[in-house]
Amino acid sequence: MKRMVRPRSAVFLVALLLVSLAPFLWLLLSSFKSALELYQHPFALPSRWSADNYVTAFAQQPMIAYLRNSLLAAIGSTVLAVAMAALASYSLLGRLRMPSWLAGFLTFGIFLPTSAFIVPYYFIVNWAGLYDSVLGLIVVYAGVSLPLAFLIVKTYMDTVPRQLLDAASIDGAGFNGTFWRVVLPLSGPGLATACIFLVIVGWNELLLASLLTGTKAAQTVQVGIRSFLEAYHADYPVAFAAIIVAVLPIIAIYLLLSRYIVSGISQGAVKYE
Amino acid sequence: MASHGHRRLATGAAPYGWLYLLPALAFTVVFFVVPLLFVLGVSPMQWDGISAFQFAGLRNYIALMEDSAFSTAFTNTLLWIAVGLFVHLPLALLVALLLSKRPAGWRVFRTALFVPSIISTTALALLWYFIFNPDFGLVSALLALIPLEGLQGLRLLADPTTALWATQLPYVIYLGFPMMVFLTQISAIPEEYFEAARIDGAHDWQMDLHVTIPLVKPAIIVNSLFVVTYNLRLFEYPFIMTDGGPANASINLSLYIYKTMLQSFDYGGAMAASAATIAAGLVIVGLMFTVARRLPGDTR
Repeated sequence: MKRMVRPRSAVFLVALLLVSLAPFLWLLLSSFKSALELYQHPFALPSRWSADNYVTAFAQQPMIAYLRNSLLAAIGSTVLAVAMAALASYSLLGRLRMPSWLAGFLTFGIFLPTSAFIVPYYFIVNWAGLYDSVLGLIVVYAGVSLPLAFLIVKTYMDTVPRQLLDAASIDGAGFNGTFWRVVLPLSGPGLATACIFLVIVGWNELLLASLLTGTKAAQTVQVGIRSFLEAYHADYPVAFAAIIVAVLPIIAIYLLLSRYIVSGISQGAVKYE
Repeated sequence: MASHGHRRLATGAAPYGWLYLLPALAFTVVFFVVPLLFVLGVSPMQWDGISAFQFAGLRNYIALMEDSAFSTAFTNTLLWIAVGLFVHLPLALLVALLLSKRPAGWRVFRTALFVPSIISTTALALLWYFIFNPDFGLVSALLALIPLEGLQGLRLLADPTTALWATQLPYVIYLGFPMMVFLTQISAIPEEYFEAARIDGAHDWQMDLHVTIPLVKPAIIVNSLFVVTYNLRLFEYPFIMTDGGPANASINLSLYIYKTMLQSFDYGGAMAASAATIAAGLVIVGLMFTVARRLPGDTR
């Protein structure tokens, strides 16, 4: 049901929209210009729509490698973290009479600022021989995101009705069987929500990626676009093109999965208080 | 623990049930418990990362308090949290209230305002670094429209008095995520509450103040916790837009730790700063929980 919005509220919303989006539009347009044109006519439409900057970005920097590393780190860590979260959530459903503080133990990491742990993470990763490797990123991201994944999955898994669990064990399903055939399928939406959030977080992460990788072979796209600042300080439009390329996957994910993202947040807003 | 599960399990199924728990437990220990102990244990040490530990007592902490860069980083981080709680969130709530009234095109606004908040902060920081560029940036162009001598050619990111606020501007503007949390909580409020208030003669803004806002208290709590933890970790805006400068004017705690570790190779100092960050975080979150319990409205 529609209620009317006052004119000044409408102005406010439109102004906010403009301030939020105008920079992106400008970035997109400027990515098709040459550096010279950027300085001479920064706010005009490109006189000649040229994809040169994109070509340069891919030709002179390992953009494909960066994108691949980001993809592997984001997806690999998500699968690992959500799998661990699902297993742990199931074990804490109540059938095993685990101590109740365990759930809190697995979640408290959410409140700890991971920027305070960069020194120990650095040494742990080195000690494990995983420095400057995508596998290292996968493992660290999985560990760091685990509390969030566990919170989302457990909250959802807790809503599986006990009668179903009891019915399954009466049917002889056993502990393992109940997990794979009853609980896991029913937790699908919770798992999906956790996956979407973790993939987005993993794709966007910068601090740990900068810390734990040293060469372009293992760096992610966020580290890559940041390095464009130095590499192309005389030719910023190439950096613009790289930024556009780096954000397109997330925008694509949103356009495909917006329903799930929004419903995931709404479940959270209602449940987590 | 295995014997407990074995004894009490009615179905007699899983003494190995705790194996399900093991991976998550192990990762939590490795990535949270061990680092916490590490930070607390090594911060009183003098250590360059290679040679042996040398006990230095409180020296690292004292050096920290004498380092003006650290005190700036600390206050700046508190300022980031304050801006998050008292500017970013209220704006997000306001937008959510407006959009919850479903004006024409509200879905477009919702999407357009939400999408930037899931784009990487790295990209946003780079974008606004360019927006503030004095030669071709949007900000300079807008300021040029105002015919004031003092506003021309401003290098907002290079000026110690404006650098911090300039780095915070994109954070304030991109409020899509908390907006979405508020919006979904508002839409969960049953219509009858508004009907009852309207029958009692309440105006729109009175309903906002006395009906809606108390009922979104859970969302306020969740968003506030997220703001605090986010700003304690925040790294991209100062790192990319100003590198903490000029002269550490815009540095914050995570960038301070990063630089102390990677540029000064002062691991003891980095860890003292890390301990301070964690302590600050716990105090602030603890304060928030206490305040949250006292406020009127739906409690947990």
